[in-house]
Amino acid sequence: MSDRLKIALLLAPALSIIGVLFFGGLLIGLMRSFNYMPVIGLTEPDLSAYIAVFTSREFYLSFLLTFHIAFTSTVISSILAIGSALLLRRTFVGRSLINFLFQLNLTVPHLVGAIGMLYLFSQSGSFARLGAEWNLIAKPSDFPALVFDPYAIGIILQYIWKEVPFIGVIVLANMQSLGEDYESVARSLGASKWQAFIHVLMPLIFPGVLSASIIVFAFTFGAYEIPAILGASYPKALPVLAYQKYTDVDLAARPEAMAMAIVIAALSALMIYFYVRYMRRRIRS
Amino acid sequence: MKKILGAALLATSVAFTPNAFADTADGKSLLGQPWEKIVETAKGGQVNWFLWGGSDDINKYVTEYVGGILKNDYGITLNRVGLTDTAEAVNIVLSEKEAGVTDKGSVDMIWINGENFRTMKQGGLAYCGYTDTLPNNKLVNWENPAIANDFGVPVDDCEVPWSKAQFAFAYDTARTEKPPKSIGELIEWVKANPGQFTYPAPPDFNGSVFVRHVFYHAAGGVENLLGDFDQAKFDEVSAKAWKILNDMEPYLWREGKTYPTSVNALEQLFANSEVALYFNYEPAGVGLNIENGTFPATVKGYGLSDGTIGNTNYTIIPFNSPNKAAALVLQNVLLSGAAQYEKAKPDVWGTQPAIEISRTADDIKAKFASIKKHPAVASAEELAKNALPELQASWISAIEKGWVANVGQ
Repeated sequence: MSDRLKIALLLAPALSIIGVLFFGGLLIGLMRSFNYMPVIGLTEPDLSAYIAVFTSREFYLSFLLTFHIAFTSTVISSILAIGSALLLRRTFVGRSLINFLFQLNLTVPHLVGAIGMLYLFSQSGSFARLGAEWNLIAKPSDFPALVFDPYAIGIILQYIWKEVPFIGVIVLANMQSLGEDYESVARSLGASKWQAFIHVLMPLIFPGVLSASIIVFAFTFGAYEIPAILGASYPKALPVLAYQKYTDVDLAARPEAMAMAIVIAALSALMIYFYVRYMRRRIRS
Repeated sequence: MKKILGAALLATSVAFTPNAFADTADGKSLLGQPWEKIVETAKGGQVNWFLWGGSDDINKYVTEYVGGILKNDYGITLNRVGLTDTAEAVNIVLSEKEAGVTDKGSVDMIWINGENFRTMKQGGLAYCGYTDTLPNNKLVNWENPAIANDFGVPVDDCEVPWSKAQFAFAYDTARTEKPPKSIGELIEWVKANPGQFTYPAPPDFNGSVFVRHVFYHAAGGVENLLGDFDQAKFDEVSAKAWKILNDMEPYLWREGKTYPTSVNALEQLFANSEVALYFNYEPAGVGLNIENGTFPATVKGYGLSDGTIGNTNYTIIPFNSPNKAAALVLQNVLLSGAAQYEKAKPDVWGTQPAIEISRTADDIKAKFASIKKHPAVASAEELAKNALPELQASWISAIEKGWVANVGQ
């Protein structure tokens, strides 16, 4: 058996699952988005669902909101993760304990975290009550609106809480395998600490940061449950909006839901492409 | 997205469960059979019941009480599948029909009414024509138009009633002295008490029914809205209704910049004293919430002098359910006097029976008469004096869409 055949055979189970479940689902979604759904009597494909999506103001507002959530969460998480990794790679007393605490969030499901955010940051949450108790604010409802808020602060906080350890663990592993030799050389040749970081360490860990942050960006752009729990009623994040169309009692709204889902998939692919290009250029300069 | 994936995974896992018992997907062959034979066929099987899962008390009644009877008396396993939105189950059946799954569906029964029932009928997704087969069907008064029509859509032997519900408000007597007792008073009260009121954003079921109350108020009475959808009338009334709601908006919780997205969120806001009024289509929940400590004991439910909307909810069997015999047995158990009584007990659920109590056996009648209502729950008899009908589903869709476009943005 040739190697090529062997590889193909070995990959076949995984590929057939991806092929059937992922591309099969995508294909059916695509068909429905073109208003082709024989079961409810739609047999003439057309573009009306896409026209409806692209002419609705709510869609653009939702897109901006979702982009803001994904972009802000990714950037802040990446910066904090790099900072934490720099601290955690040093040797100090209790390092393994701190390291353990740092990674603890990874095991907590997003949903649980979101409920925690509600308990802590809502206007009847723990911080609002403590604030009122200590006379920092007159009554709990004076607490700033951090959940169900138009700027999605609660959602972003939740994502940062969850994604900093995720990116951090990848970056830390990366830094530890590199060691500190390269930076020491740069320092011995007269580079400042900052120069050694920005010109030596950053380019070395950059591929790791990039791939981790892409995962975070794609996830936060397409995730449903956090904006569903912590988001405002208007505008909604794109996945929440698409799901609302999908569960609309009017069967005729299904094609619109599918069109929106296809647009979400296409947009995330496009944005990841530009993000990678921009970041690459940025780091080279 | 994850939720859809979850539902899909769930559907596949249910579909792949081995069927060790008789497959009863062919609903026609069950019609007219003696009941004992259907019970015999259903024995050893299972039934997948999809229903709204947002209340622990209802979930407990279904799994423990109903599931216990099915297991012990009929040898049937009840598999309760919780939903946040009944449309999710309708979607599963619809996708199965699309995929050509006509006899191995994953849904055997759905708790349903209104717009979702219309969708099931529209898509030809329901199993119909069987109600006479159920022995306990004789307890149902099909002559009552509120039972024979589901939100204005004729039931046509495609579903079986389960409970009745009527919308009611609640307030905390310790915090609020005089709650508004009509929609007109509420509109004024909201302006006098800024930040103390809000409602879940439609299409949430309870938010939507609140907006319908305002709609009835704007129309000068529900009698002007009954019948088929009328665009001219809708335009006229909706202009007034949106104006009322938009004028109210700056005085709502968070100045109306956002709305809670579910009735559970409203319940939390009320429990945390962020808002002063709570409402629900199921008034009995107030009593349960007091007993489990979510609400203080000073909370009290009440109806409106200009009436509140009532409805009947049902259970439906999809056309492609593979366990129709077991589903029929389940429906028959749900309609029995004993199960309807258990459900009516205030410490279990406290909901109103859909059967005629006068048609039940004497011991059941006596049990119903002995029920002590939770003092905080608005009395069903009082509410029923001012009951308003539901509109046809086409009106409701138009009102929900109109709210999102004119008020929610």
